Amino acid sequence: MQGIELIVSVSSPMELDGTDLSPYDSVCLGNPYCRRVEGNYAEQLALLPGAVSSLREAGKKVYVTSPAAPRGRDLPHVERLVDAAGRAGAQALEVHNMGVLRILRERGNPLPAHMGAYANVYTHLGAKVMKDYGAVRVRPNAEVSSREMEIIAREAEIEVEVLAHGKIPLGVTDRCSLLTESEEADSNCPSACRKDHWLTSREPALRGGSHPGKGERREGGWVLKTVGKGILSGRDMCMLEHLPGLLSAGFSVFRIEGLHESAAYRSEIGRVYREALELAASGGTYGLRPDWADTVRRHAHVGFCNGYLFGKTGKLYVGPVLQKGNPVL
Amino acid sequence: MAELLASGGTTEMVRAVLDNGADAVYVGAKGWSRRRAQYEMDDDQVLVSAEYARSMGKILRVAFNTLPASREIPLLLAKVEKFTSAGIRDFILTDAGAMRELSLRFPGIQIHASVGCTIINAGDARFYKDAGATQIVAECRMGMEEMRRIREEVGVGIEVLVHATTCYTLLGRCTMSSYTRQESRIDAEGKNHFLGSPNRGGLCYRVCLAEWDRIGENGETEASMLVLPNQAYFLVDDIPALIDIGVDTIKIQGREYSVPLVGRMVRFYRALMDAYTQDRSSFSIDPWKERMAGIVSARDGERREKTEGLISESLTA
Repeated sequence: MQGIELIVSVSSPMELDGTDLSPYDSVCLGNPYCRRVEGNYAEQLALLPGAVSSLREAGKKVYVTSPAAPRGRDLPHVERLVDAAGRAGAQALEVHNMGVLRILRERGNPLPAHMGAYANVYTHLGAKVMKDYGAVRVRPNAEVSSREMEIIAREAEIEVEVLAHGKIPLGVTDRCSLLTESEEADSNCPSACRKDHWLTSREPALRGGSHPGKGERREGGWVLKTVGKGILSGRDMCMLEHLPGLLSAGFSVFRIEGLHESAAYRSEIGRVYREALELAASGGTYGLRPDWADTVRRHAHVGFCNGYLFGKTGKLYVGPVLQKGNPVL
Repeated sequence: MAELLASGGTTEMVRAVLDNGADAVYVGAKGWSRRRAQYEMDDDQVLVSAEYARSMGKILRVAFNTLPASREIPLLLAKVEKFTSAGIRDFILTDAGAMRELSLRFPGIQIHASVGCTIINAGDARFYKDAGATQIVAECRMGMEEMRRIREEVGVGIEVLVHATTCYTLLGRCTMSSYTRQESRIDAEGKNHFLGSPNRGGLCYRVCLAEWDRIGENGETEASMLVLPNQAYFLVDDIPALIDIGVDTIKIQGREYSVPLVGRMVRFYRALMDAYTQDRSSFSIDPWKERMAGIVSARDGERREKTEGLISESLTA
């Protein structure tokens, strides 16, 4: 599969532990949402040399992410992160914030930038500005359709990364929704975000209704995942049915969003996509294998979505096979 | 002296805010600003409003602060050309590429980097200045020290919202609304209004203001009737300090509010700013806080009604 790159994001040694990385070409280390995430590679800089070198020895490309929303007080750490990632041999810095992009340039671009999900890349002109700062790859905002991504790639002459599977990043904040006290005072920090937490709306038919159990959903309500300082889609973005189309449109870099997921999720979803990409790239007849469908269904607690890539509502799913059994709302 | 900037959701509102003491007014070009079309203006309304502002020696600023699609860039350039030909020189933008393009094509125009840019640190401010911004809007929760640093070290104008609502997420970095409902609606000029995306079309369904339950991984309810923090804020107390540190623009949001309410807000902030700058040594904020309470109550009433309508609308998809 020359030219195709499958990336997984991993926050920490705890998330790396037990994850089968064999399906992946690349690993993006660190968590962009919160500096206090336990073992966050983007915060615990002493972890980077060992992690980067062992991954590179295993034949992986290694990227390091940076804080999605750093305040001024966080920028000295960002400077140290840029230097540490470069020294450790990381091959790119994932950048979500324009201040971080500027710091990278001020420090002589010790490593190229990959613009992340929160960098708000919507146009080829925006991508060109970022390219001038040292970006070699962009991941357009979740709202940008695949047709728009094609224009960005062509007009800005820049590599475009596509979220193939996983929770869609929907929002970032600097106020943790899992804590009742300040981060420093709340004993639930930093362990609270190691577990899954779902936000289920009480609208429209839920007033006075019962709570759903694990994997269940309220009729007509919205389900989102919260990781404290990040809001993610409840549904799993899934492009498994559309890989041939993405490849023929010229996309070759695909992300499996592995943050705040289990090792089994990262391992098994990665395996499915590796096999699917190999089949799609072979040029032979492509079809969704039942065992792939079983695997992605087993890991998707509230169904699938991919509407954004088709210019539609984000939570909608487009595709003939996995639509079966997928909640309509 | 800081400029007082207020919202112009209609031509009537433009007149009201300028007549009541605002130095400048911002309006949205239809399909291009961070509000739905009913609070935006067609080209003729923009031009008429600009003429009215000019007749009073004041400024009209046109917001193109949604994030367009690449194929819409020619539409943006044509519209800005039309407005600059009519003497409009002040624009609000979000996309860094569009900023750079406009600053190169239309030398001398003033570009404000919108609140949608999520400028939270001095590095962000430097980036947008490099892209062509002459002034940046500070993120809603930016501290005074960071503002001072931007003012002194970056050398770009700084604008602060003093009467607005924070989002739970960082404004400009949220797609919760379009995740629940997004529609494509292309107008006669070819502009997609991206209904449901505040970043792209302006309409936000305020999904974050719904009531939520937080469910743990074993199905247990961790919190009921949760409302994600999303508070209105009124920086009345801070206005003297903002003036002291040299903030260039103090901005009141409110295109969706009634004209009488917006006029009342503008009168209040105009009087407050004038009172402080005329006699800083004996100025007391307390009576102003009392006067503010009535405005807050009226504003909250209008906002609550609109929020319930928007959430209901998002559920009709």
